[in-house]
Amino acid sequence: MNKLRTTLSDDQISALEAHLAGTLKPVTPPMEIVQRLRNRIHFPERQVIVLRLRDWQRMFLVFGGVMSGMLVMITVARAFFYLMRRHM
Amino acid sequence: MLDKEFNEEDVLTRAAQGDRDAFGLLYERYLDRIFNYVYYRTGNLHDAEDLTARVFQRAMNHIKNYTDRGVPFSAWLYRIAHNLVANWHRDRSRRQEIPINDVPVLPSKGDHPERNLVRSQEESTLLKLIRRLPPERQNLLILKFVENMSNAEIGKIMGRSEGAVKSLYHRTLLSLRDHIGDQHISLDND
Repeated sequence: MNKLRTTLSDDQISALEAHLAGTLKPVTPPMEIVQRLRNRIHFPERQVIVLRLRDWQRMFLVFGGVMSGMLVMITVARAFFYLMRRHM
Repeated sequence: MLDKEFNEEDVLTRAAQGDRDAFGLLYERYLDRIFNYVYYRTGNLHDAEDLTARVFQRAMNHIKNYTDRGVPFSAWLYRIAHNLVANWHRDRSRRQEIPINDVPVLPSKGDHPERNLVRSQEESTLLKLIRRLPPERQNLLILKFVENMSNAEIGKIMGRSEGAVKSLYHRTLLSLRDHIGDQHISLDND
């Protein structure tokens, strides 16, 4: 009796496998999921984001430097014209 | 992508050197398989999507550590997926049941509607039974039936010999047969 419980006949194996094959079918992921996953995978890693932030800081410094330089040049030009007008 | 053009060894080397396009090729090649595996282990699309993304992100971050020691890249990916799914189940261990409502049960062509209904009910019940099996048995069934892998291929992924996989499969079928009997699913071949 115990042997019967621990063995499977060929018919039972075939039937079980047919049930399993019918139930466990390959699933194709929906296109929107594939696209979202692709976007997530290509999302930059933390190091890349840090690098980009560093670049952004550098850009900010460059922009600030250019603006400061322009302010100095305008101030010098104004002083120059002021002095020229006084001499004339 | 044609298999002829795909030299996995070359692509893996490039991906390990940080070539994102090369990793993209690996992603395209294995996405469906990993998604299927995670989907059947979690039972819902949302978590399957999230975990699949994490599998590939982890693979991308650690691909430099991957070395081919007789273990195919696919086996390495499945192991990552297995670990993430195990963590996912651990995190949700308080839940009593995982929703399986969105698992597709597709009718076969030419079947009578009533017969389809019975079949889909049986499939739904069988899926519940499969989810109650120990994780390694679930893995085995998914790899065998969804991925159509041989015992030898499954052995490489599960880190077992071909004979051990065969034995585990037999025990899994026995266990399923006993539970199926309680659920009134017909085991008649028709």
